[in-house]
Amino acid sequence: MKSENKKPVFNAGVINNSMPALTAAGQVILTSRARIARNISGFCFSSINTKEEKRDILQSVRDSFLKDPEEKQFYAFYNIARLKKTQRRYLIERHILSPEMLVRMNYKGLILKCDNPDMENTVSVLINEEDHLRIQSVIAGSDIFKVYREVSKIERMLERKINFAFDKDFGYLTCCPTNLGTGLRVSIIAHMPGTVVTGKIEELAKNLAKTGYSIRGLFGENSDVVGNLFQVSNQISLGKNEEEIITEMNAVSENIIEDEIKAVESLKNSKPLSVEDSVLRSYGMLRYAKMLNYGEALELLSMLKLGLDINMIKDVKQFNFYKLISYIGESNLIIKHGIKSEDNEDEVDMMRANIIRKKILKGTEF
Amino acid sequence: MICEFCKNNEANVHLIKVINGRVEKVNLCIECLKNFAIFPAEEIFNDLTKLLTKVFEVDIKIIDKGENEKIFENVNPSDNKKCSYCSIDLNTIKAIGRVGCSYCYTEFRDTLRPIIKAIQGSVEHSGKIPAVSTEDIRIEKEIKDLKYKLEEEITVENYEEAARLRDTIKSLQKKLYIGRKSKY
Repeated sequence: MKSENKKPVFNAGVINNSMPALTAAGQVILTSRARIARNISGFCFSSINTKEEKRDILQSVRDSFLKDPEEKQFYAFYNIARLKKTQRRYLIERHILSPEMLVRMNYKGLILKCDNPDMENTVSVLINEEDHLRIQSVIAGSDIFKVYREVSKIERMLERKINFAFDKDFGYLTCCPTNLGTGLRVSIIAHMPGTVVTGKIEELAKNLAKTGYSIRGLFGENSDVVGNLFQVSNQISLGKNEEEIITEMNAVSENIIEDEIKAVESLKNSKPLSVEDSVLRSYGMLRYAKMLNYGEALELLSMLKLGLDINMIKDVKQFNFYKLISYIGESNLIIKHGIKSEDNEDEVDMMRANIIRKKILKGTEF
Repeated sequence: MICEFCKNNEANVHLIKVINGRVEKVNLCIECLKNFAIFPAEEIFNDLTKLLTKVFEVDIKIIDKGENEKIFENVNPSDNKKCSYCSIDLNTIKAIGRVGCSYCYTEFRDTLRPIIKAIQGSVEHSGKIPAVSTEDIRIEKEIKDLKYKLEEEITVENYEEAARLRDTIKSLQKKLYIGRKSKY
């Protein structure tokens, strides 16, 4: 990678052993995100446009950032096709790139601003994804208002230089009608082990669907749920204004936090045998497994975290769930620990098991 | 042979696809080939695409079917009208689950409106508008907002404010009308 601009280096930060105890809200809502879809007036959409059009779009968006004397100091530009495979996977792990960005990568670009090497709080623009521009911000913890402010700031800046396709009835025009109107999608990633084991998740999912929100498992395909992690986002982007969308999403996430805290409190008082069993099994696996794949580790850590929160397990340090699961991601481990053979999954799985033991299980270094 | 899509250029690409024993021939010019929808499920086409891409140096679309095709599943085009800007037709929109350009929303407005209504529950944008939008859009939006306020004031029986709002709306509507008249 060239270093002409202040490009963040892809070395993940060091995980701190003395992690501060998070507020309850921060432990349930792992990340908040907002993105707005925009298309440049006069160009065909990404569904059918030519590579010449894609090239022009890429160039004009890149120039809007890098040739702006005020803005250029904050942003780095990446050509997706020129990134290394691990770097691309890392950006996907950090929820910056969508998997769609890795399909036919020519003329796809990324504008990125982030304030720490962990890429925990980022503002970015995906160029030539499903829409010409996807302006997005992802931060750790729960703050829908902040992420919207960030994307809105960039949109205002770009608006001075680029004409966006707009229709007075349908709002900002997008390639897929599901994004019309404000083009705004806000989402949160929530960790809800308590809600899941107390059987409340189905009711929550039903209520969310009724009120126009989608909920799905975070990593699993076909909405499989891994590690009790869920992504909740608004379905409707047209007919409501930005403030309504954000305020409602904030209310939704407050409800989720409240439900999860309630579930955890109830589990403190009465623990079903199946929950105790599951927590202790997870603890045992984490302590003795030699290799752990990512999905497995998420499942086990989620239950261990629940065990800690309901005071079942005493000899493990309280830990920041989000920081740990970010750290043990495939690409993060490869980059951070300099694994040469990117495809050596066993080596990565072994390292993951070791790190979890070292970081959170007291006094058991293998 | 003339290209089946643009009916203009010489067709120099002849594709034959056999699906469930049904043979379909497509004759295209290189320009239209770029816009020809190819679905990855048709594996032979996948290999063919690579080859074509190499030979003609064109960027061929491979379109991912799946969830996408459900979006416009209720569209049953009665004619094969094409968008005058990007020349996509409703059949292709239906197949790829995406429109081709911003003008498609104008060209196929009547067909798309009920679909958008079904997805979004509304066909009236009420969010922000471009800062550099035309004066008309801005005035229309202002009128809409004021009408909403007017209703609110009437509900709380604040008739004085309501009357004031009504006057403002009228003057804005007049402005809009005069602005339009002078344009044509």
